[in-house]
Amino acid sequence: MTGGFAGYFYLHYTIGNHPAPSNLWLSLYYIVTGVLVSGIAGTLVALIIERFAYRPLRRRNAPKLAYLISAIGASYFLLNLFGKEFGRYPEGTSQPFNDHVVTTILGAQFTMYDFVILVASVILMVALDFIVSRTKMGRAIRAVAQDAETASLMGVNVNRTIGTTFALGGFMGGAAGFFVAINQGIAYGMGFKPALLAFTAAVLGGIGNVRGAMIGGVVLGIVMFTPIYWFHQPWLEEVIAFTVLVLILLFRPTGLLGERLGRSA
Amino acid sequence: MSDQPSKMKWFRSLDGEDFRRMATALCGGLLLAVMTGPEGSITQPTYAVRESLFTAHVYGYIVFGLVIGLLLTYRAKVKNGSWRQIRSAPRRTLVDHAASIAASTRLVALGVTALLSLFAGLLFADFSGPVAANKFSWHAFAHQFVFTRTYGYLALAIALWFTAANQITLLTRVRIRSLSRITIVVGVLIAILFFSLAADPFLPPRFTVRSLNPASQSSVFHHWTTYLWLGVGLLAIYSYLRKRDRVANAKSPRRLERMAISPSMRMVGYLGAGFIAIEAPKFLSLYWQISLYQQIGVYCLLAVGLNIVVGFAGLLDLGYVAFYALGAYVTAYFSGALPLQPPFHLNPFLVIPFAIVIAMLSGVLLGLPTLRLRGDYLAIVTLGFGEIIYVLANDWVQVTGGSPGTGSVNGFDVNLLGVHYGWSAANPLSYYYLMIAVLIPVIVLFDLLNNSKVGRSWAAIREDEVAAQSLGINALKYKVMAFAMGASTAGVAGVFTAVKVGVLFPNTFVLQLSITILVLVIFGGMGSILGVLVGAVFLQWLPAYLTFHSYFGYQQSDLYLYIGALLVVMMIFRPQGLVPSRRRQREFADAESGQGSADALGPITQEMPQ
Repeated sequence: MTGGFAGYFYLHYTIGNHPAPSNLWLSLYYIVTGVLVSGIAGTLVALIIERFAYRPLRRRNAPKLAYLISAIGASYFLLNLFGKEFGRYPEGTSQPFNDHVVTTILGAQFTMYDFVILVASVILMVALDFIVSRTKMGRAIRAVAQDAETASLMGVNVNRTIGTTFALGGFMGGAAGFFVAINQGIAYGMGFKPALLAFTAAVLGGIGNVRGAMIGGVVLGIVMFTPIYWFHQPWLEEVIAFTVLVLILLFRPTGLLGERLGRSA
Repeated sequence: MSDQPSKMKWFRSLDGEDFRRMATALCGGLLLAVMTGPEGSITQPTYAVRESLFTAHVYGYIVFGLVIGLLLTYRAKVKNGSWRQIRSAPRRTLVDHAASIAASTRLVALGVTALLSLFAGLLFADFSGPVAANKFSWHAFAHQFVFTRTYGYLALAIALWFTAANQITLLTRVRIRSLSRITIVVGVLIAILFFSLAADPFLPPRFTVRSLNPASQSSVFHHWTTYLWLGVGLLAIYSYLRKRDRVANAKSPRRLERMAISPSMRMVGYLGAGFIAIEAPKFLSLYWQISLYQQIGVYCLLAVGLNIVVGFAGLLDLGYVAFYALGAYVTAYFSGALPLQPPFHLNPFLVIPFAIVIAMLSGVLLGLPTLRLRGDYLAIVTLGFGEIIYVLANDWVQVTGGSPGTGSVNGFDVNLLGVHYGWSAANPLSYYYLMIAVLIPVIVLFDLLNNSKVGRSWAAIREDEVAAQSLGINALKYKVMAFAMGASTAGVAGVFTAVKVGVLFPNTFVLQLSITILVLVIFGGMGSILGVLVGAVFLQWLPAYLTFHSYFGYQQSDLYLYIGALLVVMMIFRPQGLVPSRRRQREFADAESGQGSADALGPITQEMPQ
């Protein structure tokens, strides 16, 4: 949601009411900077949430229930603060590129938007996978996820690592918000359903498994939209996603690829 | 010159941490200013912030933030020993204060409390009476003494004072000569008679002394409430006499000291609460009579149900509203109000078992696969379930009628053994009494459950799941049981809502409602039924009150903003709630010092099933 709003304002002040630029390089520039701006906004908000809603609890070693309640409270607070400050009605966003049909494969139309989001998400996911699996930071994150106490004994700054994790998650969320904003416009409640679906995708792929989550997202998307194509009932989308979630929990709780990391919240 | 450093010492002891704290408090003040400021819009994104930060009213919030920051700094400094505490005397509880005052000036204190309780009784009588233009005029005040109701309230006040005085004497070991049994029995019987007089003041004649005449049609003896209160009063006398015997036998002074709430005080408390719950609504305006059922009663039921899940079992249910919606739509289904016609129509009273069974089944179906794994998945799964139920109600037009709403739902009625009574919207209090009649057994049942084997198992699972399992407690069974019981309570609440509102709209069952109910539980104190009720009544009353008394710039549309903030603030500063259950409070403290846990969110088994 924050990413979406940041993207909205960024594009609003750069492009404004002008028609979308037709120059490829200019469009690319807007998309890259838009993703960066939205991602950084998402990072900032994630860090603020971490600082004010989680760290006081972690310092006190509070029970898990307190984290969950605090998280849901913080998300509702932010959601409604945005609603209050920026109005409660959905709003369209200025377009950084012309959305036209690029090609048709097997009768399905691929628009420019589909193409952009496909490329961008592949780039972002590869980057995330690289960070988590190859860098020192990623190793610290995995170590804290497995056993925070031992990790701190090994010289990992647990607090900073958790902050980094939130920042990474915030960046990805912000970037995703940007793409949702350019396609569907913005609204103060826009982030709720994607978050629910994201959790389903993560469970489908296997919690704590970055590649699994990516595959889970793709599989969930296919499973969700195929019946809609058959029955022409768009609201089936969430019902199917939820059914999938319960079925996975029932039959394969470790997800498609299995859990990689230790389980600690 | 030489003592300059010692004067500046307090300033030097400030460090970065203190400035950070001050800055946080100040930002909090500014955030409050923004929260209570005007609404913004997307076309003028800085408008709302500008209007709330650069106008005069922001200074109040800045000062508020500064004061809070200073207090926090002071507390932290005293705690780490770099500042001395201003007050050197040890902190004492309110009871200590009261006890020391009573001990030092016994007669004066007793006299003052007696006067205070008398005044309170008169005030109650005055404010509950017929509406007078000026309640504070001596004429209107004196007029109250025409009504017997006044004497009933006075008797109640004296009884309350008597128990309070009893407490003081118990705590301070001050002996006042005990009253003889006969005096007490006669006194209480007289009090009950006045109590009964006060009991049913629907019509003006019943207020007056004439209504003591048994021949009169409007006499108190023609009203069942008289006999109700007589029975309740007799029970109270019985328990009081029994308690007196027990106290007389208790030799140890320590035992007396520990009885902070004696049985007689508790009895008077229940009696007073019951009396107020039954009598006070009659004097309220129509708006509050309606919202007592719709805004407060139903939410009390919901909160008590969610308390089982969050408070007793230590799980988190974010889709609680789904079961509420299920109950409501089941009622609509059996009224023939949905496009999908039922095989037979049912009176809403008979729908209640169906609603319980359906909500419970869906709870089990949802809880069983989820709770088998990890408790914290339940939060997300229920969140999803809440969203699904909303989507089904909103979009599955063939079955639920969709967003235009359902047809009209049948009202409650009784046609049994020659009694014919129908609840109608014209008499909102009839719904209220029905709600009381449901709520009280539910509360008693849940309280008994919490003190039974089941409740002890919940506590064991909360505190240490592995240990509980090694003692042979089937954790999964008890968790699913708690979840399903919470769900079925919500289903019952759904029936009551459906009947009252008549037509169901999916928008009634948005997910934000789950968060609202969660706040009621968290605010009052999870795990404590009294706390949950206090939270529900207070937090449901406050927005309704603020809606037409707009203090602090409160806007209806900002309700969820405050609710979200309240959740975070409660979790950080007082996770056990305002009226905490003693056990839950200790669990939170223990969990924070590393012993056991305070919730059942951990994994049940160490190995994941493959």
